[in-house]
Amino acid sequence: MKVSLNWLNDYIDIKNIPATEIAEKLSKCGLEVEELVDNNAKYNNIVVGYVKECAKHPNADKLSVCIVTNGKEDFTVVCGAPNVAAGQKVAFAKIGAIIPNGNFEIKKAKIRGQESFGMICAEDELGLSDDHSGIMVLSEDSVLDMPIAEALGIGDVEIEISITPNRSDALSHFGVARDLASLYNLEFKKPKFEIPECGKKTSDVAHVIIQDEDLCPRYVAKVVEGITIKESPDWLKRRLKAVGLRPINNVVDVTNYILYEIGQPLHAFDLKMLEEKTIIVRRAGNINKIVTLDSKERNLLPNDLLICDKGKPVAVAGVMGGENSEVTLTTTDVLIESAYFNPSSIRKTSKKLGLSSDSSYRFERGCDPNITRYAAERAAYLIQQVAGGTILDGVIDVYPNKIEPKSTFLRYERLNKVLGFNIEKERADSILTKLGFNILEKSDDKITVEIPTFRPDVEREIDLIEEVGRIYGYDNIPTIEKISVILDEKIDQSAYNDELRTLMCGAGFYEIVTNSLLNETTANKFGKAIKMFNPLSAEMSHLRPTLLPGGLMTVSNNLKVRQKNLKLFEIGHVFERLHDGELKEFSDFTEYDKLNLLITGKSLDSVWYSKDKNYDIFDLKGYVKQIFSKISLDIFKNDLYYFTNEINWEYGFKIEVNGKVLGIGGKVKKEILHMFEIDQELFSFELNLDFIKNINKKGRNFKELNKFPSVFRDFAFVLEKNIEYIAIIETIFKGSSKLLRDVKLFDIFESDTLGENKRSLAFQLEYYNEERTLTEEEVEKDFWKTIEFVKKEFNAELRGK
Amino acid sequence: MREKILQAEKDFNNEIILVNDLKKLEDFRIKFLSRKGIISQLFEEFKEVSNEVKREVGKLLNNLKNNCNTSFDELKTKLEANAESYGAKIDLSLPEYEKDYGSPHILIQTLNQIKSIFKSLGFSVYEGPELESDYNNFTALNFPDDHPARDMQDTFFINENFLLRTHTSPVQIRLMQNKKPPLRAIMPGKVYRNEAVSAKSYCLFHQVEGLYIDKDVTFTELKGTLVYFAKQLYGQDLVYRFRPSFFPFTEPSAEMDIWWQPKGKEGRWLEILGCGMVDPNVLINVGIDPEIYTGYAFGMGVERMTLRKYGISDIRTLFDNDLRFLKQF
Repeated sequence: MKVSLNWLNDYIDIKNIPATEIAEKLSKCGLEVEELVDNNAKYNNIVVGYVKECAKHPNADKLSVCIVTNGKEDFTVVCGAPNVAAGQKVAFAKIGAIIPNGNFEIKKAKIRGQESFGMICAEDELGLSDDHSGIMVLSEDSVLDMPIAEALGIGDVEIEISITPNRSDALSHFGVARDLASLYNLEFKKPKFEIPECGKKTSDVAHVIIQDEDLCPRYVAKVVEGITIKESPDWLKRRLKAVGLRPINNVVDVTNYILYEIGQPLHAFDLKMLEEKTIIVRRAGNINKIVTLDSKERNLLPNDLLICDKGKPVAVAGVMGGENSEVTLTTTDVLIESAYFNPSSIRKTSKKLGLSSDSSYRFERGCDPNITRYAAERAAYLIQQVAGGTILDGVIDVYPNKIEPKSTFLRYERLNKVLGFNIEKERADSILTKLGFNILEKSDDKITVEIPTFRPDVEREIDLIEEVGRIYGYDNIPTIEKISVILDEKIDQSAYNDELRTLMCGAGFYEIVTNSLLNETTANKFGKAIKMFNPLSAEMSHLRPTLLPGGLMTVSNNLKVRQKNLKLFEIGHVFERLHDGELKEFSDFTEYDKLNLLITGKSLDSVWYSKDKNYDIFDLKGYVKQIFSKISLDIFKNDLYYFTNEINWEYGFKIEVNGKVLGIGGKVKKEILHMFEIDQELFSFELNLDFIKNINKKGRNFKELNKFPSVFRDFAFVLEKNIEYIAIIETIFKGSSKLLRDVKLFDIFESDTLGENKRSLAFQLEYYNEERTLTEEEVEKDFWKTIEFVKKEFNAELRGK
Repeated sequence: MREKILQAEKDFNNEIILVNDLKKLEDFRIKFLSRKGIISQLFEEFKEVSNEVKREVGKLLNNLKNNCNTSFDELKTKLEANAESYGAKIDLSLPEYEKDYGSPHILIQTLNQIKSIFKSLGFSVYEGPELESDYNNFTALNFPDDHPARDMQDTFFINENFLLRTHTSPVQIRLMQNKKPPLRAIMPGKVYRNEAVSAKSYCLFHQVEGLYIDKDVTFTELKGTLVYFAKQLYGQDLVYRFRPSFFPFTEPSAEMDIWWQPKGKEGRWLEILGCGMVDPNVLINVGIDPEIYTGYAFGMGVERMTLRKYGISDIRTLFDNDLRFLKQF
């Protein structure tokens, strides 16, 4: 919301406080200043001057040469205005001034051979009107050399404030002035005015019936007759422009003025357009349409609150007036509505209609039910000032159940306990009083205050503590320099994931963070995705059931920028529904923490020292094995299952313990890669971290380092190709004694010379005894036993040893 | 003669410094140490020296010769060793083998800095689900139904019961429901807002919230803790201010601004976090007596801090995961 400092100055004397200081104070009391525009700067170097002499220009008929003084110095000025004359007080732009309208700088000039040191301004040049018929002549009592902004009262400072949703009271100059009054300990002055009696009563002319009191607790109406609709005077237009409003006509402008002055939204009806001059406030019921001021037809629901006359709806209450009763150029009599509506009702209607107005914005945040009458009277008074006419006596005030101010208490000890330091009682009292809280009772340890009805956000003691704190200034509250630490158990639920991150980064993986929201097709392709009720777009309508699609999108985007060799991982939550029905309980869906890693492209690019190498499934296997080994889960051997052609993977492997899949992955199917426009092989593996964290970890125990030398033996077998490596390894161990510590495959050789469908596998066997150095004989014995066993088991042929 | 010897020594010492390869060394040797070199010549001249001074000059000359030979031998050994490892055998200027280290995402790096500062103050770290109940996300946190406050948190709903959390505060609720005070913890995690994606906003972001509930927790302690935090993160000469604000779950509520002045640009206040004293209603909702216990809470957005810290102007950059970007951090 925008406020004008000149306007604020009507209610509180802040003339002598610098605007920047006011802005800083407002920010620090909770009315955050977003922008400050100081219009005074626009009029720099333009002052009140006096035309001492005025003579014809020797070389030009239409020009005059004047001597203008500011009381200290005389300036020769060439002026082209027909009305310039000696003895006038004028707006004099000195050299260096920037003319507001046109934005040009005044410089020393030579006009038709005559030097000129400044300019006498016309109204349009100062941006005050469109008048360029002659120079602006100021009143005789204008003070010489006074900055023109000050002399004319045009140097306003406009401040844009961001108002938090609780501070409905601050959506007006009254509200901002009250905060300033408390901040500076100044007097807030509510404008006083008198309306003469005319002998004709409002209630004799118009009638108000509230049918739905729950939605409209109060309705005040006031009538002004015989007015003339026209343009507003300059002062009114200036004020509205200062707060960012466009002047419309004098009556509408007054209602807007009151809205920004008091915070009470008003509506002016053309009284003659109201059937039987009667206002009926009621739910829409069977009325389902109204055309609003903006000429749009609005569809209504039965519970929307309407203002009707005897026959038709004339306004959507609190939101926008109807076109059928708006004030027009021919209007002579107006009925001013000043009501209090149920905030929640206005909010619902406004939201549903997609129609937010300055009025609905204030009503839905909560207005003051007890300012309505004052607002109606002040509006009538101002309308008469700017549009003439007669104000009818009294008001119609339908207020069946008066909303009384509530009260609450403030214990000084509690105030100090919450804030953590002592604020003097008197200071606390004065802050609250200046904000409009009346002290009802006071004792040594507490006060009871009446909460003004314009502060619906304040209800409890803690709210008063905030009021005192914010006006006192949070920056004035000391900052303690020492805190104590509780010596209880410290938990870090993110530690496990952080360890995994360290692990992955150590292996050269980059972490990615992707959007958890996917489109329907993608999401459903990867699992039983959960759909959102109000998605941002079709592209983000479902929650990700796995991390894979996000990873694939990332790869896809990287390929587009020619980043082809990628080693990425992501840790994040995934979501899946457990059945097709509605989600009512947490048990209807799951949310897991997962780790996804993916590799694609080349593990080694073609470089000067080496040939390139593509990532393949054994890279993936290696990384996964290392992860499991590093997190102390040596379940890998027995729980690893290989598969081909499963959901997303052409081939791959999974780790399953007690029926729970801890991880699954492999080579991603081509058809899936195509969905993401990826045209290179990609391997990915996803770990379910929730499962893994919950498995009872054995933890690491130290294994004694080898004290004695190991003995190594190599051999190579020629076997049928279809015999799996893992079977051979198991057989080697089966055929050996406990002395066999480790087996390493160091070569695979395939050639026609070996025979059809045969391959040669070369192994290195490591023998070790924990207690002593092995002798050649015992190793030799064991080694041959193994060879014979393998030969027999697979019908293998020993190729060499 | 004596002067000549001293001059020769001076020349020798000055010139040997300039010798940095074997070629120059040979030239140097010829000049000083060869059969026709300066020192040999001096020995020639020495023959002419009168007997009275012969003893003294001879000593000087021998010293010079020995010193020069020692220096020369040392340098020769050094240069030869260098030449062996350097020289023509290996072109060390060839590009290094590619070694790739990974890194945590930049957001996680910022998050980890934040976590470690608070952990040093004895805060625990708790996490919770992103798909939350409406109750935990709003109602329990003193967001009245149908109140403009809910507008501040444009929400992705699943249905009327569930939503994507708009802040990590529901983790506070879960914690307070399950543990008795004293409670001191931070809650990092992803949160979601139904806002159009642009350079300035994204539909999800990371948040860190903190909570401290105990007897005698005060606003001054909140201030002290957050000032410490901000100085650790942004530097000890930080200029800051606390400004009243509004959050349904805290009262009094505040925002902390820091003075931000990038080089060559105009300075301005930047909001870095929201905070306040836990609203008594929230404590009551989780069964904690607000007359006995007080507490503070705070929350901050990791994305904004990251963008600012590294001078990134478009928030979407963070979620594009372009390898060229990832590699920078």
